[in-house]
Amino acid sequence: MSYKKFTENDIFLNTMKAYPKVNFFVYAGNVYYNNIPTQIGNRNTTVRNAPEGYISLYEYNIDRPDVPLGSTGDADGTRIPRFSLIAEAGSVKTEHLKTGPIDRGRIAPWISKDSARSSFKTVGAFVVGKSAYNSEFQYGDTLQGSYPLSASITRELVTDFRATTPGYPTTSGERHYVALRNRLDFYAVRSLHYKVDSPYGNKDRQTINLISIPSIFYGTKIKPGSVSLKWMITGSVIGELRDTRENGELVQVSGSTGIYSPDVGKVAGVVLYDEGIVLLTGSWDMNGKQISIGPGGTYARPKWIYFGVGAHDGHTYDPTFASASFSMDFKGHTETQVVSMFAHAKRGETNYSNNPTFLTYGQDHMEYTSSHSYEQRSDLLIKNTVSSSYSDYSASFHRQVYVSRVAIYDKLKNLVGVATLSNPVLKKEDQDLSFKIKLDI
Amino acid sequence: MPVQNFENLDNNTDVTTTRTLLHEVIPLTGTILSGAYADGNIKNYTHGMFQSVYDYPYLSSSANHIFDITMGYDETSPLSSSSSTQNAKKVNLYNQFSQVLLGYTGSTTDGVRKFENDLTLDGIGAMKECFFLSFSRLLVKDQIKKGSFSITVGTGDLWSEPSSGAPWDSLSTLIDISSSATAGTTNTIGGDYGLLYVSGGANVVQGLVFYQAGIVVLSASIWDGVSQFYHTLGSSSFTAQQTIVSASISGSADAIRHRVKDLSFNNTTEINSKIYFCRVPHNKYNYSSNPTYTSGSKIRVKEVASDTPRAYITTVGLYNSQNELLATAKVSEPLMKDPSNELILRVRLDY
Repeated sequence: MSYKKFTENDIFLNTMKAYPKVNFFVYAGNVYYNNIPTQIGNRNTTVRNAPEGYISLYEYNIDRPDVPLGSTGDADGTRIPRFSLIAEAGSVKTEHLKTGPIDRGRIAPWISKDSARSSFKTVGAFVVGKSAYNSEFQYGDTLQGSYPLSASITRELVTDFRATTPGYPTTSGERHYVALRNRLDFYAVRSLHYKVDSPYGNKDRQTINLISIPSIFYGTKIKPGSVSLKWMITGSVIGELRDTRENGELVQVSGSTGIYSPDVGKVAGVVLYDEGIVLLTGSWDMNGKQISIGPGGTYARPKWIYFGVGAHDGHTYDPTFASASFSMDFKGHTETQVVSMFAHAKRGETNYSNNPTFLTYGQDHMEYTSSHSYEQRSDLLIKNTVSSSYSDYSASFHRQVYVSRVAIYDKLKNLVGVATLSNPVLKKEDQDLSFKIKLDI
Repeated sequence: MPVQNFENLDNNTDVTTTRTLLHEVIPLTGTILSGAYADGNIKNYTHGMFQSVYDYPYLSSSANHIFDITMGYDETSPLSSSSSTQNAKKVNLYNQFSQVLLGYTGSTTDGVRKFENDLTLDGIGAMKECFFLSFSRLLVKDQIKKGSFSITVGTGDLWSEPSSGAPWDSLSTLIDISSSATAGTTNTIGGDYGLLYVSGGANVVQGLVFYQAGIVVLSASIWDGVSQFYHTLGSSSFTAQQTIVSASISGSADAIRHRVKDLSFNNTTEINSKIYFCRVPHNKYNYSSNPTYTSGSKIRVKEVASDTPRAYITTVGLYNSQNELLATAKVSEPLMKDPSNELILRVRLDY
């Protein structure tokens, strides 16, 4: 086997941009992601161990129930291994229980506390005084997490908020809004609708509908111009918002006829593309129907500030708001670095194979051997694989090989990768072939 | 832009590396292997050389591949015979596993090493008839944690569905008890391997576990004396020896699956980190050129004009020798800095 060196024009790096489509549908207190239904398992309530609308990171623990006493339910301990072990010292054997992470029948991560100070996010901070990590664990102790880690969208309604009130913010929604105030002002160059205090109103005093989208759903950022929010009553769209101007403004593009149609063209909120946040302040009525979508389940008319009611916001199911449903569509933005490598099989090269079947079967390969030398026969016949146009007739011999894979080596000649072709490619002696190998990194 | 002062990092005193081992508990109950999905999670192939086990019916997009089961024997095994079912495949599989995992002896007659029930690889105590479990990289990650592997198999006499409990009338647990990160393993071309001891047995080794390769080798001798090791529908029962000779590889894999009651190990992922100790001297970084730092030519964060200057650190930038920004590190909350204090920010970069 011969090695061929990549030259400078044979390897290049580029970036592949992809815009994955995302849809969230909110109905009657449930969220559905890309129309994936709930899958009921044989051994567990749900197959992925995450409710519909959630993404399960790694997709571990498929259809595995959580059992309190180890995967077999043995009562003799909740540690792995769960049975007595033999410790050997010469011929003397003793039995003891080995400690380890707790087994609840599910795959779970664990780590030993050591000087690198690594821990799971849920284990507590390193801050003195509030540090569970410092005080709860000894060095060498096991810190255990759990799978699946899951994520979905969350809606928060920020009402009666006064930034000047002492003691604010109190609720988590208020805290999230306060954390975004600087970013909102920063984006004011795109549109005044972002600005906290602008001619369009003061967000500190408005009721705000904050929808947070975890980045696992969109990647680097939400693609500008791709956002669409639809408010539906009994299945009919009563209003749609789109970021048609691609500057983050969510403009109402459709609405019911009659008295509600003048709302078309109004800006109901903004999207923070990089942060994955939809912030809605539109408080005009879009329909005359009163349903229990207001704060604490109070009755209110459909407004944009009530968009997405039931999306993990603590709003419990009520038959009257079951007539409302919400659809949120957008595209993500992911960038994948791709290495492209061109492997050239030039004419007159790469035309021999070490595969034993390359030579005609039944030949003696050895000419001469002694304790000092080994000589291969010089008249070995290569199997003629040239296809004839006629049946039962052998075509005349040509040198040809079938290329089935390209191996990639590093500079120390360690095999680092193998690219396999879907079908072997015929290479004749007078042909040049180039293989383009792509690798996502 | 904020003030940018560069502090040189001294490779000897300010930079260090650490390696954190992240483990995962991987429990696999026997119900996944046989019973829960009526073999809908078991994939057989037309080549018939191994069988794949998934954690859910494999036609579902949720299914993950867990491991493959196969078996084989050495050509010097008394069970090897041209009349045996899939004889060549069984011999080749054994030899392929042993070549890849153990390598060669250097002998000109039978140069391929055999699996042995010790760590010496001296040709004594060969396990010539073996079952192989190759675990998926998804579960094994970088390697199986040494000393964490255990498998409980039924050595009961009768064949029936495991739910009836018959194959599990008596149990044998194999553990790599003698293996640890520092001792009890042998390094070969297939990585480190340890011995699987029978729990409660008198120093009996019935299998091997290859930690980096994620392959478990079980000796068929665990089931010596079991009369119904395998049973095909409407035909008679086979002992373990008869199964190895007469059953196909997938048939033997079925028999093993029915016998596994419990299997667990911990995997390992190595996370390498570089730690940069970024030292903030008392007389530096007390000012910011952030446009909002001043208001009406006065420092915004100071109450009294005669107070010492004060700044709040939010970000550390890591630069290369050409002063090009490579990475930034953010603190969870801004740190107050004035001439009366010094800070050391510990920046960790995982890769």
